[in-house]
Amino acid sequence: MLTSLGRTALSLLQYLGELAKLVYETCAAIVSAPIRWRLFLRQVVEVGWRSQPVVIVTGAFTGAVLTAQTFFQFNRLGMKSAVGSVVAVAMFRELGPVLTGLMVSGRVGASIAAEIGTMKVTEQIDALRALGVHPIDYLVVPRVLAMMISMPLLVAEACAISIIASRFVLSQVLGVTGPYDWYNTQHYVGPRDLDMALTKGVVFAVLIVFIACHQGLNTKNGAVGVGRAPTEAVVLGSLAILILNFFLTFALNMVFPAGLN
Amino acid sequence: MISVRNLIKTLGTEKVLRGVDLEVETGETCVIMGRSGSGKSVLIKHFVGLFKPTSGEVWVEGEEITHLEERKLGSLRKKIGMLFQSGALFDSMTVEENIAFPLREAGLRNPREIRDRVAEALEMVDLAGEQEKMPENLSGGMRKRVGLARTIVSRPACVLYDEPTTGLDPIASDSINHLIRRLQKRLSMTSVVVTHDMKTAFHTADHIAFLHEGRIYFHGLPAELRASRDQAIVNFVEGHSGETD
Repeated sequence: MLTSLGRTALSLLQYLGELAKLVYETCAAIVSAPIRWRLFLRQVVEVGWRSQPVVIVTGAFTGAVLTAQTFFQFNRLGMKSAVGSVVAVAMFRELGPVLTGLMVSGRVGASIAAEIGTMKVTEQIDALRALGVHPIDYLVVPRVLAMMISMPLLVAEACAISIIASRFVLSQVLGVTGPYDWYNTQHYVGPRDLDMALTKGVVFAVLIVFIACHQGLNTKNGAVGVGRAPTEAVVLGSLAILILNFFLTFALNMVFPAGLN
Repeated sequence: MISVRNLIKTLGTEKVLRGVDLEVETGETCVIMGRSGSGKSVLIKHFVGLFKPTSGEVWVEGEEITHLEERKLGSLRKKIGMLFQSGALFDSMTVEENIAFPLREAGLRNPREIRDRVAEALEMVDLAGEQEKMPENLSGGMRKRVGLARTIVSRPACVLYDEPTTGLDPIASDSINHLIRRLQKRLSMTSVVVTHDMKTAFHTADHIAFLHEGRIYFHGLPAELRASRDQAIVNFVEGHSGETD
């Protein structure tokens, strides 16, 4: 039992060490090696543009269903004019970044791990190295930069769409009209909430992209390994988002405190 | 050109190379032979720093590369090209983009010059006009040829061939053997060929090194290898497993 625990702790430490090394090497490459802007733009299209359907659907339906559920509870207490503001705060501070992170982890993280993993087992990464091209410069840096630019924008987009969906459901489906609801939303939601959403977006982007690149670069055992890499990238990425989000919420609440505008 | 001294390499718990000493002279074609799994590919990957030795030294053109960091190996890797066993083409790129890759990475930007050099490299490997194909649409032999075109397009001083004929039919293998010899004459490159194919070895080699039990067991002229009466060499050359029905 103790041996098994010790072994797990050691492998976790080793994994974190490898991840830290990858982060360090990538930061060093961003500073010292030329950035391949064409690859960066291709990744922005891959991460940002091709994630549009997923993010729009996630934002719209999460906003809509959260609005409906909140309304059903608040209406009994005579607080239906607070529904819009509660939904908006929840989306900006928690659900927008987390759900976008999980969706992007599933779509982009898996694809990064599979693509790099396939390159690893088919000797394409060795071929890059043999041609004098560092795999981190060519494969990791463009993806990291593209994720760090795209992810906060995707989070902001998901939040905006969720609020539009929320307004639509409130006014057109649940019949909540009048000025108070919109007034409350404006009163309780401000730039601090957007800042928190964007910050979480950047942090989740870093988690997703480094976990996925690490899984890809360490793929072994041929087709089985290539199959395993995206699964592990998604599982580890999603768990990391959910766990870190808890601590991030407390830390960021000190920087961007919730409350009235 | 390449010198290896007492090279030991352990992969996991297995000692693959147990003290390899080898010299490859500039301009020659050295064939490294040995059974499958004997460590031939592992050995040549040390020549371009794709593997770091557990102990021992690797020297290329008078410079020790054993402990060079990955980023400092860039200039060495522009001098030594490598043809991988599978071709290792970038599967998201066309044949033209694959071959142009080292040129673009070296800073060449003129599209016409890149196009001309790609066409010349393809002509050298008898694949003229195949620029637009994707790797998935190429046969095994064609992939190796495109891989070779990508390797030679930037005119390296030395080319390492990792099992260039493995998985090819006899006619395609013969064609690759001729190609290796032809390129060697045309571009005056040093070549190191890893193979267990006797025909490739005798067709292309100036010298043959026989890797056996993790060490260079024999290093000499092809004629000397043929004349050897050593049982391990005879068994390998004549393909005797020692088993009976």
